[in-house]
Amino acid sequence: MKKLITLIGVFLFLSIATSYSQNEAAEEALEQTGKLTETPGNTKTVLTGAAWFGFSSQKDDALKLNFNTYGFTPVFIWKLSDKLFLESELEIADGNIELEYAKLSYSLNKYMTIGAGRMLTPFGAYGTRWEPAFVERFPNSPLVPDDAYLPDDTHLYFGAIMGMDVSGDLPLGDLKMNYSLFVSNGPRLARSEETGELLGGVIQYENLDDNNANKAIGGRIGFFPLSNSSLELGVSGNTGKVGDAGDAAYKDIAATALAVDLNYTKAIPSIKSIISIKSQFSSLNVDKANYALSDSTTYTFDNKLQSLFVQFSFRPANVDNKILKNIELLYRYNSLTPPKDASWGGEPITRNDIGLCYWLSWRTGLRFAYEFTSRKGEPKTNEFLGRFVMGF
Amino acid sequence: MKKIYLTIVILFTGISLLTFLNGCATSQAMTDKSGAQLWGENCVRCHNTPSPADYSDGQWEAIGMHMRLRTQTLSPDEMNKIVAFLQSGN
Repeated sequence: MKKLITLIGVFLFLSIATSYSQNEAAEEALEQTGKLTETPGNTKTVLTGAAWFGFSSQKDDALKLNFNTYGFTPVFIWKLSDKLFLESELEIADGNIELEYAKLSYSLNKYMTIGAGRMLTPFGAYGTRWEPAFVERFPNSPLVPDDAYLPDDTHLYFGAIMGMDVSGDLPLGDLKMNYSLFVSNGPRLARSEETGELLGGVIQYENLDDNNANKAIGGRIGFFPLSNSSLELGVSGNTGKVGDAGDAAYKDIAATALAVDLNYTKAIPSIKSIISIKSQFSSLNVDKANYALSDSTTYTFDNKLQSLFVQFSFRPANVDNKILKNIELLYRYNSLTPPKDASWGGEPITRNDIGLCYWLSWRTGLRFAYEFTSRKGEPKTNEFLGRFVMGF
Repeated sequence: MKKIYLTIVILFTGISLLTFLNGCATSQAMTDKSGAQLWGENCVRCHNTPSPADYSDGQWEAIGMHMRLRTQTLSPDEMNKIVAFLQSGN
């Protein structure tokens, strides 16, 4: 509670101290751009989002070809005034309906906005920026624990949190930085949906209700070291205690996640093309604890989980050929290192994705990829994936 | 002890932010960037650059704020320039 009060105090202190510089520049910009004030009505609304349909194919699989993924993700956007803003996304995908996020924002000044609600976790860059279906060039996502390789979904990488944040961007001369700091319901030790038993150190984020008095805190700080904003480097972290209230065995056990992300995207005039390199390294460390086995004995292990992806894309977007300019070539290296000694862990997994995207418009396209997955002690698997994504 | 560390980190972050706000400003070169240049430099970092005709003037205002708050990579002034550029194409 003291932590929360301290955080709120700091937020208010920052808000008051910075509000002096807010309106002058914003009003000046509005006057200069003129047209912004010409649109009638204060409330601006947009219904946007994406829909997709996809398939997978494995040579050795009996199904050969499986149309196995579909989704519709409408995003509702309301700009109520220059300060008030509401955005929400409903995700209807693969048989599930979920409110992905619903975030209410109030801009205190040009450098700071307060947000509250269910919001995308500011952890790394993938979940908040590169994950939307019309943005993701591949038909699949990077390899993270949320995939089927590990039990349960951690929801750390693509998930949402319930809480409050402050965010904004700051000028640094020719350079820029941005920040997002949050306090939210914390992570918890995941339990089996069938039996209610602990899943031996698997962590569950995205909690609509908290399980203890400790709140998670964290955030992301990004930095643009080049004046043309082509390169962004980000550092993220969050920490929180995971034990249920009243459970003495786990009351001091904390989960701490760290991430480093990079995005370099640049149009190269000499080759009439756009190149992009995106990467994110993430780690999740959970304090050592004893977990029960089915025979009533306990065991402990080094609960560390790491994932990395590096992707490269090349699109000759500015050549004259009408077909060639819509083709984007893709490659992504993925690795996932679970805790080796966990009952749900094991050997590292490596996946290479080679892909191609054909753009029908700036937000609609066909995506194809070939996955090569390998894990020590297991046969290698190859899979061909396709997806048609329509942004709207 | 952890609370003391936490408080120090929070205060350090707050003071750093205040220092940035008071001591740093956008350079003239950055201020002089046009809406078209900002549109070309920033949108493409995550997605393809949109066509002005895809949304109405009012919708561009909402989308501009959505992008600014979603990514925290654009100042209000920069976003207003991009929105005005897109509106001018309608």
